[in-house]
Amino acid sequence: MQKHTISAIICLAGALVAAAIAGASFLAMRKPDLIVRGPGVTDVKMLSDWFPGLKGTPGDTEVYILKGADDGASMLVLGGTHPNEPAGHIAAIMLIENAQPKSGTLYVIPRANASGFTANDPQEGAPQSFTIQTPNGPRVFRYGSRATNPIHQWPDPNVYIHASSGQTLSGSETRNLNRGYPGRPDGTLTERVCYGIVQLIKKENVTITVDLHEASPEYPVINAIVAHPKAMQLASDMVLGLEMQDIKISLEPSPVNLRGLTHRELGDFTDTLPVLMETANASQGRLRGRTDEALVLTGKDKWYVRAEKLGRLYVPYDEKGHPLEERVGRHVTAISELMNSWNLEHPEKPLEFEGLPGYEDFLTKGIGVFLLPLPAKN
Amino acid sequence: MFYIYLAILAIVLALTVWVLFDTKKLSLQVTAAMVIVPLLLRLLMIK
Amino acid sequence: MSQEFLLFILMVGVFAAGCFALKWPVSVSMLLAAVAGALAGGVQNPIRHLVEGTFGYVDTILTIATAMMFMTGFRDSGALEALTAAVIRKFNKLPGLLMILLTFVIMVPGMITGSSTASVLTAGAVVAPMFASMGMSALDSGALISIAAILGMIAPPVNIPAMIIGGGIDMPYVGFEIPLILLTFPLAIAFAFWFGWRNVRKVDRSKVVESLDFSALNQYGAWRLFSPLILIFVLMILDKTVPRVFGLGMPLIFLLGTALTWVTGKRFEILKSAKKAIEDVLPVLGILVGVGMFIQIMTATGVRGFIVVNALSVPPALLYVMIAVSIPLFGAISAFGSSSVLGVPFMLALLGKDQIIAAASLSLIAALGDFMPPTALAAIFAARVVGLEKYGGVLKKLVVPGLIIAVYGILFILFSKQIRALY
Ligand SMILES: [Zn+2]
Repeated sequence: MQKHTISAIICLAGALVAAAIAGASFLAMRKPDLIVRGPGVTDVKMLSDWFPGLKGTPGDTEVYILKGADDGASMLVLGGTHPNEPAGHIAAIMLIENAQPKSGTLYVIPRANASGFTANDPQEGAPQSFTIQTPNGPRVFRYGSRATNPIHQWPDPNVYIHASSGQTLSGSETRNLNRGYPGRPDGTLTERVCYGIVQLIKKENVTITVDLHEASPEYPVINAIVAHPKAMQLASDMVLGLEMQDIKISLEPSPVNLRGLTHRELGDFTDTLPVLMETANASQGRLRGRTDEALVLTGKDKWYVRAEKLGRLYVPYDEKGHPLEERVGRHVTAISELMNSWNLEHPEKPLEFEGLPGYEDFLTKGIGVFLLPLPAKN
Repeated sequence: MFYIYLAILAIVLALTVWVLFDTKKLSLQVTAAMVIVPLLLRLLMIK
Repeated sequence: MSQEFLLFILMVGVFAAGCFALKWPVSVSMLLAAVAGALAGGVQNPIRHLVEGTFGYVDTILTIATAMMFMTGFRDSGALEALTAAVIRKFNKLPGLLMILLTFVIMVPGMITGSSTASVLTAGAVVAPMFASMGMSALDSGALISIAAILGMIAPPVNIPAMIIGGGIDMPYVGFEIPLILLTFPLAIAFAFWFGWRNVRKVDRSKVVESLDFSALNQYGAWRLFSPLILIFVLMILDKTVPRVFGLGMPLIFLLGTALTWVTGKRFEILKSAKKAIEDVLPVLGILVGVGMFIQIMTATGVRGFIVVNALSVPPALLYVMIAVSIPLFGAISAFGSSSVLGVPFMLALLGKDQIIAAASLSLIAALGDFMPPTALAAIFAARVVGLEKYGGVLKKLVVPGLIIAVYGILFILFSKQIRALY
């Protein structure tokens, strides 16, 4: 055998070994994290039950239903629209594992972009998962990609054109769930998931829709609620309720010219009252330092502390960071407050849930105590 | 379109492997090996 | 000294040592720098991170590889030489006009696709022999092609850095046409005169036409011979205007064009030609793969945050200097990456300016990243299409134009409100 053939075989073998090691790690991302049915869960359906076009696709995702004994209003909570924003995902799981319905119905989609949970964004150096300690042992949760996995939707066009408005964005936004609403039944996988969520809202007559997000600390819309004009009254009542608990949150109107987002399109295309909430997540920011599980869980980051001193941030930032319990606590408390605000104005059509931990509970006890034990393996 | 692009990718991957075995320059062989890794993992729909 | 600073020094040091002292290819030096950073930085599961970083460029690799296959096929079919002959025969007497016209021709693929590489490897490769016949030196021609390519990438309708910067602050890509035209067209005309007309106006062109080879043109006819190029332009325009039906994407368009070159001119072995194309372009593909690894490790270890926060740490008066220096420098790794990593934070620091003009100007400055070694995609490919082995000479010619472009961009940011009032 010639010398250059031998070296070619060695190079190829090296490539195959690297591909195998990395490939095994990528494939492990396909296994979803476990969510326990809490005492209030009355049914678990799939999004494809509302839009059969999603059946068998990687976009199909669980819808947890918590139906109270008494009739009332309904609320849809979307967690994991962006799987790299863990507070939204975990807050949705908090509802599933803790909320106990009295009146009205709660629909929770903890993995709104299920495909996005199966991969990480290249060049972001993100961890593949993070672990929360609970009294019953550790629970592991996925940290995913902001967008649909390219394995499930590829290639991206040069330019993404939002179907119903014609708005153009950079091509990779084609896989961003929160740019695809109201979606299309025959569109991309991402657009079909949007369409499925819209069908759920329409068929179940969902009263309020809450889309849970996080933002990087240098982004102006943060620790904020963004509301469609229809939901403005409800949102401003909620802001007052949170202020009573010393939780500062800013209220932003949904921009008219920014299309494809829940707080704009769900309000325009359905009867639901849509709001979107943001907390401060250092692990998705551009100014962050070392990116690992600890950053996801604590938000402690020296570069953000420095950027705050330079006046570059839109949230206070010190050595204590913004831990996940604080961010999840904000989301869960805000959802409770949204329900309270709704009930004050609409006592005839209430939305009442018990068992949700309060903001102080999260800060003092952490998240782990509110996670249920995993079912024993058989 | 997905499978058309996988086919395009397969062509580029095949040509890269051909270059790997055809060239006598070691530096080009190492470079080819580097390029093969992502192309192969995408072709197998792993990443 | 922070740990991130030391890691940064280590990674850059390993890269420089590999590249300059040991004369390893850029791709391998990047790989080793990333490995060193991952090990010294204590990154968990380093192989996963190294491989994951490369996926930022899979689409770019396909575009570049297929574009190169097309250009090689177009040349092997004899069409490239014939096209030069046909154009020069027509325009030999009007060099000034031809220079400006050709500069805009180079820009067109970049304007439609948003990629400077597409510009250089298609229109740039077509125009390069014309520049040579007009009497331009390879270095001048390479420089003008690189400049036209990055101006094309920034000129409307498609400007990906502006979309990336806008996306980072939730600003839709609307109303960018006029500022982008103001930013790019005057520069294009100025540089066409500087590199082109200034050099060729004194050249004796009386014998140029006799030296051209018209045999392929006479044998196959212009329409048949040039049809692959026409197909590519038509498909690019359709991809932009009716994406629902003709949204084929660059790699497929190039591949269709390559297939057509096989039957429209001189016979050649298409597989051998394609393999030659990949062999020629493999070092560049390797650089992209190495850069992907490098960025992923910089991000995971916090070196990226260190760079961004330090760039933002300068006093307000120096902010503009920092923009003009750091965005192109980071663009040494990737112009698109720089738009996202530095462009967005700088954009947030410029919220008092006219947003559209500021984002448009930042995108122009980010495009200069395509001149920065080691990736320097625009310069590398421009050197290649004008037939130079090394691209260092082209880079030297680009220093002053690069400064002019950066200053022009900064002036637009400074006077954004006044410029906005003009239209
Ligand atoms: Zn989000």
